[in-house]
Amino acid sequence: MALIKCPGYPEDTLRSLAERLPCRETQLATLLALMGQPDQYSYPSVFIYGHRATGKSHVVLSIMKDLELPHASVDCVECVSSGLLFHQVLSAFFGLDAAALLPRCPSLSDFVRLYKQMSSNSPATQTRYIILDRAERMRDMDFSLLPALLRLQELVNDNVTVILLSEIVWEKFRPNTGCFEPLLFHFPDYSKAELVQILSWDHHPSYTPELYASYINILLGVFFSVCRDLRELRHLAVLNFSKFCEPLEKGEAKESDIHKLWKNIEPHLQRAMQTVYLREVSSVQWEQQQMDEKEATTLRVLSAHAHIELPYYSKFLLIAAYLASFNPARTDRRFFLKSHGKIRKTNFLKKHEKTSNHLLGPKPFPLDRLMAIFYSVVDSRVAPTASIFSQISSLVTLQLLSQVGHDDQLDSPKYKCSVSLDFILAISRTVGFDVVKYLYDFL
Amino acid sequence: MVKRCFNPDINSNNALIDPHRSMSISVEGKTEDATVSLGQYILIEGDDDDNPFVAQLRKLYTDGRNMPCFSKKTAVVQWFVRMCEVPQNKRKLLGRDPHPQEIFFYQDRSCDNEVDGETILGAVQTAPATPRTPRHATPSIPSRSAPARKPGNVLEEARARLHVSSVPESLPCREQEFQDIYNFVESKVIDGTGGCMYISGVPGTGKTATVHEVVRSLQQSAEQDEIPHFHFIEINGMKMTDPHQAYVQILQKLTNQKATPDHAAALLEKRFSAPAPKKETTVLLVDELDLLWTRKQNVMYNLFDWPTRRNARLVVLTIANTMDLPERIMINRVASRLGLTRMSFQPYTFKQLQQIITSRLNRVKAFEEDALQLVSRKVAALSGDARRCLDICRRATEICEHSGSQKNGSGLVGMSHVMEALDEMFSSSYIAAIRCASVQEQLFLRAVIAEFRRLGLEEATFQQVFVQHQALCRVEGLQPVSVSEGLAVCQRLGSCRLLLLEGSRLDLFLRIRLNVSQDDVLYALKAD
Repeated sequence: MALIKCPGYPEDTLRSLAERLPCRETQLATLLALMGQPDQYSYPSVFIYGHRATGKSHVVLSIMKDLELPHASVDCVECVSSGLLFHQVLSAFFGLDAAALLPRCPSLSDFVRLYKQMSSNSPATQTRYIILDRAERMRDMDFSLLPALLRLQELVNDNVTVILLSEIVWEKFRPNTGCFEPLLFHFPDYSKAELVQILSWDHHPSYTPELYASYINILLGVFFSVCRDLRELRHLAVLNFSKFCEPLEKGEAKESDIHKLWKNIEPHLQRAMQTVYLREVSSVQWEQQQMDEKEATTLRVLSAHAHIELPYYSKFLLIAAYLASFNPARTDRRFFLKSHGKIRKTNFLKKHEKTSNHLLGPKPFPLDRLMAIFYSVVDSRVAPTASIFSQISSLVTLQLLSQVGHDDQLDSPKYKCSVSLDFILAISRTVGFDVVKYLYDFL
Repeated sequence: MVKRCFNPDINSNNALIDPHRSMSISVEGKTEDATVSLGQYILIEGDDDDNPFVAQLRKLYTDGRNMPCFSKKTAVVQWFVRMCEVPQNKRKLLGRDPHPQEIFFYQDRSCDNEVDGETILGAVQTAPATPRTPRHATPSIPSRSAPARKPGNVLEEARARLHVSSVPESLPCREQEFQDIYNFVESKVIDGTGGCMYISGVPGTGKTATVHEVVRSLQQSAEQDEIPHFHFIEINGMKMTDPHQAYVQILQKLTNQKATPDHAAALLEKRFSAPAPKKETTVLLVDELDLLWTRKQNVMYNLFDWPTRRNARLVVLTIANTMDLPERIMINRVASRLGLTRMSFQPYTFKQLQQIITSRLNRVKAFEEDALQLVSRKVAALSGDARRCLDICRRATEICEHSGSQKNGSGLVGMSHVMEALDEMFSSSYIAAIRCASVQEQLFLRAVIAEFRRLGLEEATFQQVFVQHQALCRVEGLQPVSVSEGLAVCQRLGSCRLLLLEGSRLDLFLRIRLNVSQDDVLYALKAD
């Protein structure tokens, strides 16, 4: 590890900082070089971008905390109005009393005025840093806020640097009227080797580090192709480690029997990818299940709960809506009329109707067509009572149907069916209706 | 054109024989005499001994016209009123709680401001009231300590005279309009009736100046008692935050009252429904009328409805830029109340512009004849805006001054200086901006035009243009730029409005349009 040197900061703090931030030495060195000595003016604004969990805010906040620099760390998601942002910045730099001087709905000029007033009382001896996490939210706030913060140093005439952290590239930030261009700084993704190094950091105290490292290697062998998110991987590593150690505890294997351990854990990890990783099973359930030694598939996963008990006619209404949404209107005669002539499938459909409707998604249909199909699929005579029509609107509120074009509520409304094929198959099975026979795509 | 007469302020006061700076008076209950001097506040004997009057000493002289041995000291004073003397109902108008010792300026002609020196009781210290936030404070620029610099040479003098803010001696080329407006207002003032007039014309044709001139000369003739006195009020739509503020401003200028817009509207309604006080006509000038437009048009409606009342005696002069404003934005009942007394100010022709400049310069020889003609012809061809014309002339004098320092010419503003000033004012900055753009920016503009030609449309997405840009880079033998660099180039051109862009969130899909004509871009790119 190259020794990071930066005049003006205590050397042992820098060393411990570099040890605490593995695989981020170059970024750390660049940032420290940018910051310069504490009393020097730094660049007005720095834009740091990189994927999720690449240590952007961790590196920046660690530097701030360890070197004890004056800083205000603001998460832009929390700032529903710019006033909250101003409040946090002022209270971090000058104390709560200063922030209390802000008017109720502070504007940018209020903030700048108050900042200037406060900084003239207590001028900056060190560079002050404003760290804006998830800065992409700044674009949705007042349009002048981002350009103003980018040149805040100039506005308040104080040694202040704004650091923006985001997962989005700068090109999507730039306002149309132009602005002061910040310094762009990229945090690259961790490689596999780096992930192993970082994940092996927190090994279990009762086992050797080598065992944990081999566990991490196995884990990454399964998960690296789908997930490079450090936080997610760490979470999975913690969840499954007890299962990995099971043979050791039982005495069935020794620490050196890596192959045996791999054979034990590999199917378990594959199962975890389909359940815990997709949050079908919560981590608490997963741990519980490991303790009870139950088979993993016995648990009903979240997506299997997608079955709703519906009234009898609602089921038929939903089936009719599904048929109306996924069949071309021209084929209705053929499917739903009792005595239709012989019509061949080919050569009578338009070109766009030939492609699978299930790939294109549901199409809107008018209420009349829904009712026509409904009467044709229901065997008994059904009176068009208020309850039938209210069932349609309650299907809309349940979001099984969705209304298209909200201009006309009463006169010929249009709907779309928004349920999946699996769902409709399950519904039709309960009423003993074969949907597939009526679907043009499966003919 | 009505000639205005200048009355120099010569109040020859023959009585002022022996002016003094101070006077000694004997004060009751004290042995030695007290002295009062000019500018001091003094107490003067009043109706009852406990409450003497307060005044400020202005002049002090010995009146010895008739009998020199019995010469009598006379003081000219400015009267003041104490709070206790103000009638109860007038106190409310003040709108605040005054200090009990506070005194007010008293301006009524009914009191003689010359008093006998014997009546002076003594000096009084007027204690400044407790400091409070001034309510009626108006921000003002600090008065200059040294007198304004006299223009040093001919060009500076010409520049001062040509400045838009300097009030001209006369308004040439608007004699007919002046006469029409003058006759309109004068007839209404003399008859004691009301009416509306709508004045339109493009900016810089002298509408506001002419109306002000009319009012000035009317006020002069009113002072000479040729026509009845009238009250002049001016409001400007541009100076209001809200159209309804018009009521507030009119009321304040009419009666010095302050009220909310609704209350002010009610008060004005009452004022104009009843016979006008003192049978005095009110002349109301509404500048920038189009900004008083509201959804229900009630402000405009009221402004034009009040003059139609029987005894309102209100003359409303309205000024706006477009001729068809009443037809375009006003509903029928408003437009019909405005009536058909319309006047439109035509843009100045080149001869008129020339005359305006000549009359402004007024014997100051700073311009060559041809230069003046060129300026006026150019401006007349484009807009006929007198302000623009004056600006160009002023700029030309500056250019002349700069060039004069290098090579001593005739000292007059010549053709070349005027040409340079015209070029600065009228030439499009877009072409200069394209010529000064970087290589990649120029290449990007080329790519935009190439893509437009290919598509046959005037709009393309960044993605499409970027493909062209990369191809052009290869043709030119440059390193092809990355997408980020390309977007930066595109957004820089967008921020200086050479391109019209959508929001930057769309990145590859943001649509691009040119803000300049393709010919201009090609001309600018080809020139080098």
